Amino acid sequence: MISTTQAHPKRSLSLGRWIRPLVAVLVIAFILWRLWTILFVQQVYGAETWVRIGISGLILGGVYAVVALGYTLVYGILFMINFAHGDVMMLGAFAGYFTLEAFDAAGLLNRNLAWSIVCVATAFAAAMLVGMVAAILLERVAYRPLRTAPRLVPLISAIGASLFLENAAQLMFGTARHAYANPNVIGRDAGWVFIVNGKEVLVTYTGALTFVLSILLMIGLLILVKRTKMGKAMRAVAEDKDVAALMGIDVDRVISNSFAISGVLAGAAGVMWGLHIGIIYHYVGFIPGMKAFTAAVLGGIGNVAGAMLGGLVLGVLESLGPAALGVSFQLQDVVAFSILVLVLIFRPTGLLGEVLSEKKM
Amino acid sequence: MRTRILLVFALIATVVLAACCPKEKHECTDEWGCAVFEPGQTVKVAYVGPMTGPYAAFGTDISRGAELAVKANPDVEGFAFELVIEDTQGSGEQSASVANKLVADPRVVAVAGHTFSGSTLVAIPIYEEAGIPMMSPSTTLATFTQQGSEVYNRVAFSDALQAKKAAEYIYNVLGITKIVTVHDSDAYGQGLAEGVAAEFEDLGGEVLAIKATTQGSADYSAALADIAALSPELIYYGGYDADAALMVSQMAAAGLEGVVFFGCDGTYGVNYIDLAGDAAEGTYSTNVPIPPSDAFDQFKADYEAAYGDPQGKLSPFSPHGHDAAAVLLAAIDRVAIKDGNNLVIPRKGLAEEIRKTENFLGLTSGAITCDATGECGPQELVFMIVESGAWVEAPGQ
Repeated sequence: MISTTQAHPKRSLSLGRWIRPLVAVLVIAFILWRLWTILFVQQVYGAETWVRIGISGLILGGVYAVVALGYTLVYGILFMINFAHGDVMMLGAFAGYFTLEAFDAAGLLNRNLAWSIVCVATAFAAAMLVGMVAAILLERVAYRPLRTAPRLVPLISAIGASLFLENAAQLMFGTARHAYANPNVIGRDAGWVFIVNGKEVLVTYTGALTFVLSILLMIGLLILVKRTKMGKAMRAVAEDKDVAALMGIDVDRVISNSFAISGVLAGAAGVMWGLHIGIIYHYVGFIPGMKAFTAAVLGGIGNVAGAMLGGLVLGVLESLGPAALGVSFQLQDVVAFSILVLVLIFRPTGLLGEVLSEKKM
Repeated sequence: MRTRILLVFALIATVVLAACCPKEKHECTDEWGCAVFEPGQTVKVAYVGPMTGPYAAFGTDISRGAELAVKANPDVEGFAFELVIEDTQGSGEQSASVANKLVADPRVVAVAGHTFSGSTLVAIPIYEEAGIPMMSPSTTLATFTQQGSEVYNRVAFSDALQAKKAAEYIYNVLGITKIVTVHDSDAYGQGLAEGVAAEFEDLGGEVLAIKATTQGSADYSAALADIAALSPELIYYGGYDADAALMVSQMAAAGLEGVVFFGCDGTYGVNYIDLAGDAAEGTYSTNVPIPPSDAFDQFKADYEAAYGDPQGKLSPFSPHGHDAAAVLLAAIDRVAIKDGNNLVIPRKGLAEEIRKTENFLGLTSGAITCDATGECGPQELVFMIVESGAWVEAPGQ
């Protein structure tokens, strides 16, 4: 183990000396050339298009960031990727869906503004609760028995848990897709209209709500991790489980807590997704889950601020990237993941990642 | 040790003998061989489609139609039919492995499938080699019946027809001259988007672009803003209902307010309106109208009684699933030969018999008739538009 970790940096250094600057120069030259063509030569898009694409990127990025926080929290403490996290988001989306449907059936959803707010708030609360319970159970059933096993084992268990949740949801909620019942005040077509470049640009209320809420959740989590006793315990366990236990910290409890927090965030993200995107089904957590995982890696996995930055950057890049490079929007994911690869070549620990201690490696 | 080796040899000898000998009684003269069933064995007919994953609603619904067809025609000469349902998850790779699994089973005689064109594309050569006839409930890709396949048949129409009629309707009736066609990168959607673009240009219209999107994408707002920059009057979409519903509900925010959305047979259905809500108003799709009949009323009642959902909720294609299976079962009934206690089904005989189907009483048509290329579907279609939350026939056809 020790000999390989010592031999490795030497080799990659000599390789890196040649390849990295070459790659960097080529990539930057290509991007500048494409940007120049798109912006000044062809002038494919007016300002209004750039604004529209940018807004859609920020909103998606906000959701990715909230989901990514869950990945990063769990990774920071257990050094495992909780691949079932996207499916916890799906459960949250369904909890919110059924809450809103129930209010709608009771005729309260659109009675007046106050009731609409209550309905949406209750939907968020229900989803956060369901997400929290699901994440805690997930940890108990699928991960805790494997805590001393080699690191690949809980990873496989996580993939199994993800498939289990997806198929359980298919059995419970059916194969059909469901449309979220938004209150009319935040209908998916409603929003503020700005004039950019003589054209109307619509910022939907759901989009604004999603973005603002995601920022609030991120700030909340930062405060929780940095300022509270629970956060301190989490950071201690992340640093060294054994020593933390010796200091009187209940490690199981702290791990449970971090899963609970990640579940709360995923549940909230599920309702944001439902309100803004509008269509949910048993598979809805898969793509945001994968993107958020990517965002967490991009920002530096294990780092809370990194996950936030990674999420926003990924959302904006995958929206603006194809436009800026003048390629088909079908290649959104290709552009986003290419950038991930490039970032990891130049900063293997991610944008805000720190060098991991010997133990975490 | 020695006894064990002897035992193994004895076992191998039995298996070899069992495999080679008892089929001598019936002289099988069929070019592709015969499927032989001993008493108690079931005659397997497969349905293949997406049973899990994002498109599970289609597969679940169509397989129910096929199940009801088997219930209505449960056996041939005292040998029970068994419907084997295989899952492709909507993907081509999975589809190939399912097809290989089915051809390896000597008791599978026909396949009511596959369901999506991309998945069918990879499966046809596999069944072709094994000599297993297919009857697809829903694949409409134009080229399938133009490539001389001896096993592929469908009860759906051909997209050559759909593309031509759609282009004519858009140009002549709606009077629109600038369109963008969009597809979901599946063989079906792409074939349709390219077909419509070609036909539309032939008519003299202007196709600003053919845009590809990703099937099952979570968000289309950026891709739609890109389309909005071209200022089209209409977007023609080749793909499926859930993606289309998401797309229309994001059109306003992307700057495409007032632009017409024109879908296809993949976007038709109640589900689309449920998902898209108000945004569905004024959007178009294609429907193969199912003629009212007592049989169809009975089918709707049976469907609801058996599965609890109203027919048509998951997808509009359960009658097609029923007809695909029913035509196959009827053809098996006609070619199966009783040989002593065994049942013999000649494989090429079956493939040919399916194409001889004439005036078969189905749900999608009262007189299903196949031609020599495997087209068994009614070659007629109607464009539909959403008005006050329901599909109605679009004017001017």
